[in-house]
Amino acid sequence: MKVEIVTHRDGKEATVGFEYEKRFEAERPMVLDVLLQAQARTMPDLAFRYGCRARNCGVCTVDINGKPRIACRARAREGDTISPVATLPVLSDLVVRRDGIARQMRGRLSSGGQGNNLNVEAPEAYHDLTACIECYACLDKCPMHARNFDGGLPGDVQNAEDLPDASKGYRWGNPFSLLKLQRIRIDPLTTDAGRQAAVDNAIDLGLDACVGCAGCKCGVGIDLMGQVVGELLEAAKDRLPSSKT
Amino acid sequence: MTIKTEWLDYDVIVVGSGGAGGQAASVAAEEGARVLVVSKDPIGCSDTKISEGIATVRASGSDDDSAAGLSENLRMGGGDLNVEAITDAFAQDSQAGYDRLRSHGLRPPIDAERNTPKPLPLPLGGHTKRRSVGHRNSGIAFGHASWNAVIEGSRIDYLEDAWFLDLVTEETGAGKDAPAKRVIGGLIYDASKGCLIAVRAPAVVIAAGGLSTIFFPKTDTMRGNTGDSYAVAARAGAELVDMEQVQFLPFCLASPPSYEGLCAGEPVTASFLGVLRDKNGKVILDGVYLRTRAECSSAIMRTVEAGNGSPNGGAYLDMTANKKLPRSGPYFMRFLQTCLPSAYNTARQALGKAAGKCEVEWEVRPGAHYQMGGIRTNEHGASAGGDGAGETAHGIAGLFAAGQAMGGVFGANRLGSTALTENAVFGARSGRAAAETARTTSHTANDDAFAPFIAETASRFGQKGDVAASALKLELQRESWTCIGPVRTADRLEKLAALLQDWRERLERVSIPAHTVWNQAFMEFEELRNMLETAEAVAAAAQNRDGSVGGHVRLDRGNISAFSTPYSTVVNRVPDGGYLVRRVARPRQPLKRLVSYKLQENWRKFQIKLLLMMPSGMQDKNLEKRYQAIMGASGAAPEVTPGGVDAAIGEATKA
Repeated sequence: MKVEIVTHRDGKEATVGFEYEKRFEAERPMVLDVLLQAQARTMPDLAFRYGCRARNCGVCTVDINGKPRIACRARAREGDTISPVATLPVLSDLVVRRDGIARQMRGRLSSGGQGNNLNVEAPEAYHDLTACIECYACLDKCPMHARNFDGGLPGDVQNAEDLPDASKGYRWGNPFSLLKLQRIRIDPLTTDAGRQAAVDNAIDLGLDACVGCAGCKCGVGIDLMGQVVGELLEAAKDRLPSSKT
Repeated sequence: MTIKTEWLDYDVIVVGSGGAGGQAASVAAEEGARVLVVSKDPIGCSDTKISEGIATVRASGSDDDSAAGLSENLRMGGGDLNVEAITDAFAQDSQAGYDRLRSHGLRPPIDAERNTPKPLPLPLGGHTKRRSVGHRNSGIAFGHASWNAVIEGSRIDYLEDAWFLDLVTEETGAGKDAPAKRVIGGLIYDASKGCLIAVRAPAVVIAAGGLSTIFFPKTDTMRGNTGDSYAVAARAGAELVDMEQVQFLPFCLASPPSYEGLCAGEPVTASFLGVLRDKNGKVILDGVYLRTRAECSSAIMRTVEAGNGSPNGGAYLDMTANKKLPRSGPYFMRFLQTCLPSAYNTARQALGKAAGKCEVEWEVRPGAHYQMGGIRTNEHGASAGGDGAGETAHGIAGLFAAGQAMGGVFGANRLGSTALTENAVFGARSGRAAAETARTTSHTANDDAFAPFIAETASRFGQKGDVAASALKLELQRESWTCIGPVRTADRLEKLAALLQDWRERLERVSIPAHTVWNQAFMEFEELRNMLETAEAVAAAAQNRDGSVGGHVRLDRGNISAFSTPYSTVVNRVPDGGYLVRRVARPRQPLKRLVSYKLQENWRKFQIKLLLMMPSGMQDKNLEKRYQAIMGASGAAPEVTPGGVDAAIGEATKA
């Protein structure tokens, strides 16, 4: 099985062909298997992230033919092109810098203090959102996230100096950051002020970009439009321009 | 191009951002320390995040659940290798530690009447009380809590994609009743910026996880478990305890390759009629559900050695007899599906429909899961040395460990649902103690002490050579499996010692390009360096313990008698290379507990015989009743945790 792997070293992009040797006739390898074999056979320094091999840790996301997929549980097919996730800046080969996303949430996670009694049952929706493994597949085609890169992708930015500084956290949000805020909103232990702050933060991160957006897609099947974006748009409807919800 | 070095000052450095690191950082910051968290993987992406998500919370199920009782349960499970002060601390703090996770967003099911988190319906094996709380989304729920603890911490700075390379220490010049060395900081490689960071800090908490990646197959633990915790501590001169106690799960998948090593079941899930067979169909172990993991693993490995193993180096777990019985068969399927659902689902996906229905055998082999030994500490996670339970006066001042990095909590075996609580309890304790150290230490870090570390690390960038670190890693994983894996012999331990010497020489010939941003070859080199160090420590401890106990199985020696005096192995690296090994005696359980253990063991073996002698119809009715008793009205089996004693009934009474 032949695939193409898009590598990046010292700012130079190259596409390298790799012939995967099936370990038995009927093998249907995952993309991660292909990367591991490429490293073992022909590209010893190939850089890629992975962790649990069982779709739980969320770090091995790559683009396969331009779509973000979780490499340990995505089947590789003849002719596939494997490239780094296009929505974040590349550090090396298939490794992208993830730091700017989590860091934008600093100072935005307070639930406004906790009561004395922690023994309160959380609603079903809270657990639905907790299923997020932070794979960042949801960044694909997100207009809010794209604002960090002048409406495009990090790869479209010509000079590296013009990229936003990830170590300070990105200015504009994304479905993941909204999910974290919505999770705070529906936590029964969050105070009214904490709920209000979550909506304020969503607006500050660019919630207006979600108005009229066709929608985002979750890597592990969470209903982002229904349970996150829709809920926040509803809560902020009087404060957003021309809300169509 | 020379890699640049930046300098920073902090009170406390926390290495690792999982369950233990997150709590250590958040408590140290609350205590007023300025904290730097260093994580090579993204924040919170640790074994905690991918665990089964079941935590021990004392008194969640009943009011009469005393700290003394929980502490004793841990030592009973651990064959008395554990340190009593540490198991006591675990038991005393389990609720407070758990509540800290709740303050970071962990939301368990609630027992409204008792006003407590709601534990699973039955005590997990080895626990004498109901106190194991399960969570929706398993470990991922804990992953969010670790993430929140680090990201929302107002006095916490953090670096991800950053590799903590070495501790920097200096001699204290103190007498023999005070530590001879103290921590003055550490050196970090920041891969995203492409620079080194020298951090002056009087306290460092190591919470960088375990070592399962020194083996292949490992189970579904994180790739990053390259023994960093142990290697970094050992190189600085810290003592490690019980390093031979690596827990292997016997029934991991042998194929297809994408699933190799992932956990497919535990002895208990094989149920009453599950047996192991060799490639010729011959039964090599019956009564699997009542066996210990070590018994199952060594049966498989002995078969492989005799040339009768399966194509992928394992044996066959045959559960078809359970399924075939007309009355009890349907109960069995429900039992298998609900007892350890994550493992069942993995096996069904990997092996196909017929295997999922238990109409055919499963090819299985052991896999590395958890390191019970680790950095030798006291009950506050502070580095300890000397005799007995260990004293901080003989450890390294300012060095702390928490989570899988620390030893002394679990001894030779770990009860189910305890690892996540260990993180919360000792994360908090070590964070508090580290902040206290920082408060009472005057900052006079000697920058000259950093110079050799910086010079050596900088010289690696652009190192010429003919060895690929990633290839050498694979070689090490294969040989570790054979020599210090689920079964060990004196010959193999010697073989590994010779190999390690060769690999250390080849390590110097690893080719590393000069570029500084995300230099994959340099990272592979650093991980390999830690894997070699850790493998050597495990081998040294394994050589000293010349009989089988817990996770340490010697094919060429017998079992260590439960009636002999228990001891822990302690290893420390000597500056010229190699490890010194010694034994530290531990107090033994009262004699009557041991006698009761022997009786239990014989009763267990008799039960297996009895069941197999029954005529099929009688067997079927008998089993139907047993399943009904286990699964009750809900029709589902109580969940077990991989690695827990409940999942290997034969280990439940181990003294």
